[in-house]
Amino acid sequence: MNGVLAVYRKELLSYFRSPIAYFVLAVFLLGTGYFFSYNMFMSGSASMTETFRNMGILLLTVSPLVSMRLFSAEWSGRTMELLMTLPLKPWEIVLGKFLGAVTILLLMTAGTLIDLVPLYLFGNPQTTTIVAGYIGFVLLGMACLAVGQFFSALTHNQIVAALITVPVLLSFWFIGYLQHFQASYALRSLLGYLSFALHFADFVQGLIRSEAVIFFLFVSAVALTLNASYLQWRR
Amino acid sequence: MIALESVSKRFGSKTIVHDLTFEVKRGEIVGFLGPNGAGKTTTMRMIAGFTTASSGRVTVAGYDMATQNDQAARKIGYMPEHPPLYDTLEVSQYLRFVARAKGIPRSQFRSELDRVAAACRLEAVLDREIYKLSKGYRQRLGLAQALLGKPEVLLLDEPTAGLDPGQIQETREVIRAFGQQHAVLLSTHILPEVTLICQRVAIINQGRLLAIDSPSGLQRASEQTNRVTLTATAPAEALRSELQSIAGVIALAINEVPGNAPVLNVECQTDARDGVEAAIARAVASRWALHRLERRQPTLENVFLRYVSQAPSEARAQ
Repeated sequence: MNGVLAVYRKELLSYFRSPIAYFVLAVFLLGTGYFFSYNMFMSGSASMTETFRNMGILLLTVSPLVSMRLFSAEWSGRTMELLMTLPLKPWEIVLGKFLGAVTILLLMTAGTLIDLVPLYLFGNPQTTTIVAGYIGFVLLGMACLAVGQFFSALTHNQIVAALITVPVLLSFWFIGYLQHFQASYALRSLLGYLSFALHFADFVQGLIRSEAVIFFLFVSAVALTLNASYLQWRR
Repeated sequence: MIALESVSKRFGSKTIVHDLTFEVKRGEIVGFLGPNGAGKTTTMRMIAGFTTASSGRVTVAGYDMATQNDQAARKIGYMPEHPPLYDTLEVSQYLRFVARAKGIPRSQFRSELDRVAAACRLEAVLDREIYKLSKGYRQRLGLAQALLGKPEVLLLDEPTAGLDPGQIQETREVIRAFGQQHAVLLSTHILPEVTLICQRVAIINQGRLLAIDSPSGLQRASEQTNRVTLTATAPAEALRSELQSIAGVIALAINEVPGNAPVLNVECQTDARDGVEAAIARAVASRWALHRLERRQPTLENVFLRYVSQAPSEARAQ
């Protein structure tokens, strides 16, 4: 566990000593703020539902910017040789890095809390729906980061890592919409089950379904396990 | 502390390291010598646990690197060829990260940091961002992280590359002091370095171990023939027959010193037995005037070049 902590602290330091964390936070909060005010004035209702949907899509494009450097920067900076020869197990490296990225995600999430201020000042929003939406958002973000982190381990180039991650995440998001074109029931439910968007939609509606929670945690776990096995295999 | 038993490494169909066997004991500094691309770095990486051997066994401090590399990693300090540094971090932040990852207790952080910073002369740059460091400092920071936690085995891949002469001197002192109680394997292509700090030298080329011995042992063994040169004033033919009658003289060449007629330069090839040059000196000096006599031993450069240049033919023979 000490190894996880060591890697985690190093990742956080690296994020905040380079412009990337500030840039990502700024872009995400600007985007969210724009969508929030737009939705507020268009609908006139005190709810986060539309804004959460927009935040989900925004996250698909922003999270690869957080995850892309996790391993490819280690390969290209030749520091992988250090990480792999220190008394750290592959899963400790993978988990430490993942927690570092998740911390950035939590900061992004915390930044959007400011949108709630006018909501509660001038309206009467449903607190449980908002809480469910935030839980869903964080779970979705964890899955996106885990997938991005895995692809980051496969290449020395950060840009390539991001360019692979974005389409993969987008396909996970939109795969649910293919349901409508499928005749077979099995295929329809499979596509529905794989969909990030459909699971996330439950949370946005204020539903915390254990199936959806498990889905996002499962995707993260699979991606992180693949990541650690890949490191072990590269030895 | 380090033991390799017929270790090979293949990448696809290419074999980078062939059947390497040697060991490094505690308190010993072994130099790993070979031209670029000889397989030094690959061997270092196998010992450090960054890659695994395709066949054979690497053990460090008694742990098999194939199955117990976690335990072994605690005993190893490794400085790769390119110092593995995080450019955005400050020097002290970087060292703290390595110390933490090595499992050094928090209470010893301060003293360990001070110790390696002093040994590697990093005190002045502890608060500086790594990307601002000069090449010499980067190299020494790479060494400092390897020294953290006083590992029992130190692996240094070209530790003095990119340093100025003063820094090279200091770095050698650090390694020499460390090598008194630990096992050190260092790769280099700077020959004098090997003679200065290594007890033994392993010469490697094209992935094969060509020789392993003390520097002086290598010099002795490498040339059965020594060379004795002398200058004397004497008649050429009489000198030739006199020298040829001395046991141990294999061949000789006599040349007149231009413009100085009776003075001759003589080059003798002798075998390795002791006292040949003394016998030559006595024989010449008793009849003629002997001006100069010199025995030339092969330098480590010659030894190295000899081993390395003959490697391809040996490889073909096998």
